Amino acid sequence: MGIGIEPSVDITELYAAHRLSLVRMAVLLVDDFASAEDVVQDAFTALARRPDAVKDPSKALAYLRASVVNTARSALRRRRTARAYSPPHDLSPPSPEDSAVLAEEHREVIEALHQLAPRQREVLVLRYWSNLSEAEIAQTLSISQGTVKSTASRALVALEKAMKSTTSSGKEER
Amino acid sequence: MSTPDTMSEMEDRLRAALTARAEQVRPEHLAPLTPVVELRPRWQSPWVLIATAAVVLLVLGIVFQGVARDPRSDDVAPKPDERVELQLPADVGRDWDAGPESTPAKVDLDGDGTKETVDFLAEKTKNYDGRIRLQTTLSSTGKEAYGLMQVASTTIGMTAEGVIDADGDGDQELVVFDPDLDSTGGAPLVFDLRDGLLVQVVPEDPELLQRGDVQVPGSQTELYDRVRLHQYWISGGSLFSGRSEDSFARGGMDMVRPPAVVLESWEWRLGDDGVLRPEAAGCRELTFDVRPCGVDQSERVPDLGARVESFVGIGESAEVASGYPFSMRVEAGDPPVLVVEGPDGRTLRHELDVPDPLVATVQPESIFSDGESLVVTSASDPTLVQLLVQRDDRIVALEPVGEVPLENTDDNRTWLSETGSVVSAVADDDGSWQLWFWKMTSGNRAFALPGATVCFDDVDDPTSVRTC
Repeated sequence: MGIGIEPSVDITELYAAHRLSLVRMAVLLVDDFASAEDVVQDAFTALARRPDAVKDPSKALAYLRASVVNTARSALRRRRTARAYSPPHDLSPPSPEDSAVLAEEHREVIEALHQLAPRQREVLVLRYWSNLSEAEIAQTLSISQGTVKSTASRALVALEKAMKSTTSSGKEER
Repeated sequence: MSTPDTMSEMEDRLRAALTARAEQVRPEHLAPLTPVVELRPRWQSPWVLIATAAVVLLVLGIVFQGVARDPRSDDVAPKPDERVELQLPADVGRDWDAGPESTPAKVDLDGDGTKETVDFLAEKTKNYDGRIRLQTTLSSTGKEAYGLMQVASTTIGMTAEGVIDADGDGDQELVVFDPDLDSTGGAPLVFDLRDGLLVQVVPEDPELLQRGDVQVPGSQTELYDRVRLHQYWISGGSLFSGRSEDSFARGGMDMVRPPAVVLESWEWRLGDDGVLRPEAAGCRELTFDVRPCGVDQSERVPDLGARVESFVGIGESAEVASGYPFSMRVEAGDPPVLVVEGPDGRTLRHELDVPDPLVATVQPESIFSDGESLVVTSASDPTLVQLLVQRDDRIVALEPVGEVPLENTDDNRTWLSETGSVVSAVADDDGSWQLWFWKMTSGNRAFALPGATVCFDDVDDPTSVRTC
């Protein structure tokens, strides 16, 4: 009858269902495939480490999404430290997907996106790629809905500014 | 490639770019789950190996059953690691102008006993937000030092909040307030001279170092939410912050808080790594200022004022002078009619649907202050309480909604105070009373915001309120 048996999270199923979309989200946050894969792997590892953390399967994706965002931020911090002491050419070579052609108009936006503060980038990715509501973004990032709204607004302005800056500096170089 | 002309276009471009970038990751790019030995080097602690092995087993088909509690998913998700790295400022903005409303700061950055003058140069942007360059010449070396900060508004004049010596090294750090434009209020930005640059140091726990009203997660209801009050201040060359121990109900523009709010406080110490860390600094009370705890216990409960005892009944009239002035009278009839005449010359008539009506001669300004507002009760049924307000050319009775009834009974005392507040006190089993403060909301409705739990020496006398 199922008495005493509560719904549980099937990590295998979650892995199969959401790994690709989470890696894609992570790529937008950390901008390299290897790190993105690590970030998502970490998220599943954390879930496996605490199988009781998410008992309701319907909340598992929210858990994983928050986990990926937070782990991605940690990864960026580590990378920032590394970059402070290493020349850019020491970075890992691009993965196969990195070398795939991204249209110029998209590349500009993605480059500008990665000039934003982490929180701004997270809000934009969750809003415009994950299509989350303000409430869901607030829950994912543990901030208020008002902060989501103001961060998104400022982030768009900052993104536009960064794009203009990139465009004008590109012209100067030419 | 051109930059977008409108925000909508910007959003469309962003969406398209995110999709394109994300879809570069194809299913075939995902590596099959690898054995533990092939995982990346940083996965080397025994715990991580165990956990990773668990993932391998799980992916092979072993299902973990959930047990015990059901926490919020975002509560249990891994948090970013604790390490915080400083970012060196970029050398930009030399040609930016000092904002006319900014005041240069005086601070002894290099610890030579002479204060440097730090100018705030604002970046001009279309939306008046952006970066501020902090620029000075060090008195000890004659060299230029600069820093950079991102602020919510470059048009609000930048002024130093003060100087601190949070690391105790004898030189000073500069504290500047960034007035965040959202509801939370803002946070201090602290700059320390490091390697000849003004580097923004970072708090280990930013949520503890801010100013304003911060919503308690999950507290939002249809009518109100709850907030904790945050404040920070500089005292004796140290930076302190505090967070209210209690949370307070907030509805619309109103918040229910006592005159003195008890804060849990911290003193912020700056480490060599550039991280500000909070150290517990005990209890403080937030009034207009911040003071030590225990100065005046009576201020931890609201000033309820005296109960209004002056009413007019049928055939009587009164002048209401405080707030929006008007005259009123209650004319006999079936039903009796309330007649009010305001300073705009309008005479409004309202049929009173309570028996033996009594209308208070004090206006409940906390309910409504842009026109006539009145409290009505009944001489023959004192449990009745009605709130009336002027809406255009008529007087309407507000519909009470929310968690407490608008009535005056033995265990739900409701009264109008001399200060114009309508208050309910709901009895608890232990002899204490939960206070509720009535407010007007949309749709000609009234609801009560929850306040403190208090005790009364005499519940019929609101001025005898005290802490329990």
